[in-house]
Amino acid sequence: MTYRPALANAVFVFSVALLIAVAIWYVEAGGNQPSKASMHLTQAEWQVTDAPGLSAPPPVMESKALPAAWRHVALPLALPPDTARQSGMNASPATGSNVRVTWIKLATPGPLIAAGPLAIYGVRIRTEGTIAVYANGQLVYRAQRQGPLWNSLFTPLWLVLDKRADDAPVSEILVRMEHAPPTRVALSSVWLGPAEALRGHYYLRQLLQREFPATLSAAFLTVGVFALFVWLKRRHDTDYLLFFNLAAVSFGGHLHYYVSLPITGGWFAWLTANALFWLIVVVHFFLCQLHGRALKGLTRAVTGITVLISVLTLPTVAILPVYPSPSVLVQVVYAIAVLMGAIVALVGGFCAWNRSREGWLVAAGVGICTLLGLSDWLQYANLIGPEGWFLGAYTNAVTFGTFGMLMYRRYVNAIGEVEQINASLAQRLQAREAELELSHQQLRKAELRQTISDERQRLMQDMHDGLGSSLISAIRSVEHGEISELKVSQILKGCLDDLKLTIDSMEPVEADLLLLLATLRFRLEPRLEGTGIALQWEVREVPTLPWLDPSSALHILRIVQESIANILHHTQASEIRVSTALAGAGVRVSIEDNGQGFDVEKTLGATAGRGLHNQRRRAQAIDSTVTWHSEARGTRFTLWLPLEREVQMPHPAQ
Amino acid sequence: MPSTRTDPESQPIHVVIVEDDPGFRAALCQVVEAASDMRLAGTAGTRAEGLAMLQGPPVDVLLVDLGLPDGSGIDIIQAAALQWPSCSIMVSTNFGDETHVMRSIEAGAAGYLLKDSSPARMVEEIRSLASGGSPISPIIARQILARFRHDSADARAPAAAPASPLSAREKEVLDFITKGFTAHEIAGLMQVSHFTVRSFVRRIYSKLKVTSKAEAIYEARTLGLLDD
Repeated sequence: MTYRPALANAVFVFSVALLIAVAIWYVEAGGNQPSKASMHLTQAEWQVTDAPGLSAPPPVMESKALPAAWRHVALPLALPPDTARQSGMNASPATGSNVRVTWIKLATPGPLIAAGPLAIYGVRIRTEGTIAVYANGQLVYRAQRQGPLWNSLFTPLWLVLDKRADDAPVSEILVRMEHAPPTRVALSSVWLGPAEALRGHYYLRQLLQREFPATLSAAFLTVGVFALFVWLKRRHDTDYLLFFNLAAVSFGGHLHYYVSLPITGGWFAWLTANALFWLIVVVHFFLCQLHGRALKGLTRAVTGITVLISVLTLPTVAILPVYPSPSVLVQVVYAIAVLMGAIVALVGGFCAWNRSREGWLVAAGVGICTLLGLSDWLQYANLIGPEGWFLGAYTNAVTFGTFGMLMYRRYVNAIGEVEQINASLAQRLQAREAELELSHQQLRKAELRQTISDERQRLMQDMHDGLGSSLISAIRSVEHGEISELKVSQILKGCLDDLKLTIDSMEPVEADLLLLLATLRFRLEPRLEGTGIALQWEVREVPTLPWLDPSSALHILRIVQESIANILHHTQASEIRVSTALAGAGVRVSIEDNGQGFDVEKTLGATAGRGLHNQRRRAQAIDSTVTWHSEARGTRFTLWLPLEREVQMPHPAQ
Repeated sequence: MPSTRTDPESQPIHVVIVEDDPGFRAALCQVVEAASDMRLAGTAGTRAEGLAMLQGPPVDVLLVDLGLPDGSGIDIIQAAALQWPSCSIMVSTNFGDETHVMRSIEAGAAGYLLKDSSPARMVEEIRSLASGGSPISPIIARQILARFRHDSADARAPAAAPASPLSAREKEVLDFITKGFTAHEIAGLMQVSHFTVRSFVRRIYSKLKVTSKAEAIYEARTLGLLDD
């Protein structure tokens, strides 16, 4: 797809606008301005009664039925543990009972006129026993029938009152909370008003406290699974495995924010509580890897504490109590987690300060998570009011964000690197090509030098054997005055012929033996003129000889030249017949004359046979053979040349 | 192409010699003057003298040496081809090697003379040239065949250049030459006179000249030296 900036910008703006519009619509769906149409109840009266045990709330209960020991309080309220016993206000059996019932009475300031059904909304009711809400003495809402749910703390109170037949306005709301004596119960302030007006409040709370973190958590896990598959394909990239591990541990550690199952202790509690520690350990190791310092002491401490706590809180061991046990120790354990997170963040950030931007980023993420965890801890410890947010739900999101950013950086960097590598690859290829070209040139130069050297050697040899020795013998003869001018002229003409054939051998004959012989004839014809010898040219087409380079061409020219010279000088032939034919795996060149023959064996044995020996030597040099067949009526000289030569010249003519 | 002389007795062959070697020049002069049907119209020893002679009346045969003391004989050949179009230009050479001969033919020469030829051979060559014939060697024949084969195979051959491919008979002549047959033998094989064979060679040379000119123009155009 081609990149069009205008189109791309339009797509970007549209997508963002869509998200914003959806968010606005969701929040506003319940209606706005709840304060005008609804009542915010911030004043209440409370008392604690004892109960022999957990019991189902009665269907009808009015505040008048309870002792008149009401005490006024402002909402939100968080009661200290076992207030009843400390205050001693109630006539309680004091020792016999393990269950307390805390009653909270909310009075409405006046009748509320509303068209639609009324709703009650509160941020949180915190207790571990049954929760019951009565409106005008009628039971309208029950929760935690089997004890608290995992997500109770994060779930706002939301109930819609059915239109009753009597249609009386709500004048009293009574909340009944069962709990064990040491538990701190808490209630946020409550809104009473038309359901339509309050729904926005409820939805926003629900969204930000539960649904949004849950979505992010699921997204983290999904990306984690994606990372897992990347790792399965690329085992050496352990970063991806780590990412998956983080996603899995985070998901496990945050499940209690969303799961609406009753808290029964056991493995789930152990897992979800300890996942926090594991997360810190994993991130610590990752940080060490990023900033490159071993930090042995801290690593040992962090790992040790985590293992210790994980073991001690095992349901089978159960030495340390597990959340949501009311034991004070739980808060201590969580404090340890927060402290550990803070130390890991600080040390990691310090170590990564100038070394690794990624390390610093992760340390900052851990820091933020620690702060979020701290807010949770303050909530659990009842150090902030019951209307606060459990921000710990967002640690998952922060982890996701941090490591997602890391992945994003790596991904973008990887793309950049690939582009750079491609560019440098092209550059290197170019350089390599240039190098290759250079070495090729050098090779060619060396080859050329070798060719020239070979050629020089060949010509030197030829000059030495032919031209040189002819000229020297001519000079010697002239100096001794024993030679006629005609003879000198003949010798010099012979030398010139030699020279011409040398030059001809360097002409391109394109492996054509006939062209070579034709050239020889062209050169020798003037010498035959006036000798009265007839030359019968009876050549036939023969295959080309691929090995016919200047050097072998000169050998062939010299062999045939010598043969014709022998006929001219030593026989009284009147006719020379030159013919070519295919003979086995070679080509045969025959030169026949009708002069008087000679004794081949004898001549080869004598000094006069030097010319014949030269022919034989030259023939051997080109893997060829020469034969003579001589009788009284004439001689047939045959030069046989192979079609293929096994050993090619080291430097074939280009 | 010069007109074929029907009566050499009545109209002598006028010859100009451009040769810097005094010995060879003298030998040539002697050969020409000794021939009853030839007249020596002038001699020159340098390129400058040779070019100056071209201002005079045209002759029948111009004999040029390539290696002149003040420059190349090629220049004289080119100038003569323009100024004396009817003149047959002959280059004198030591070896008749392919490089020198081909360059001369492309410049406008119609033949060449080997310097070590016998006087009788020289007269015969000049006479043959004057009558419209041309000598050729097997290697030159092969070169020309290769040249035209290359041209016809070359699809990029310029459309403007009237690439004149060889006729079948011209090709046949060249083929025979490369196999070593003489003009007389070829005449027998093709059942024509040997003068005809030599005049085929002259025609082939002129086609080579045209082709080489067209090539030069084409190259000059591609190099931007000439306007289209």
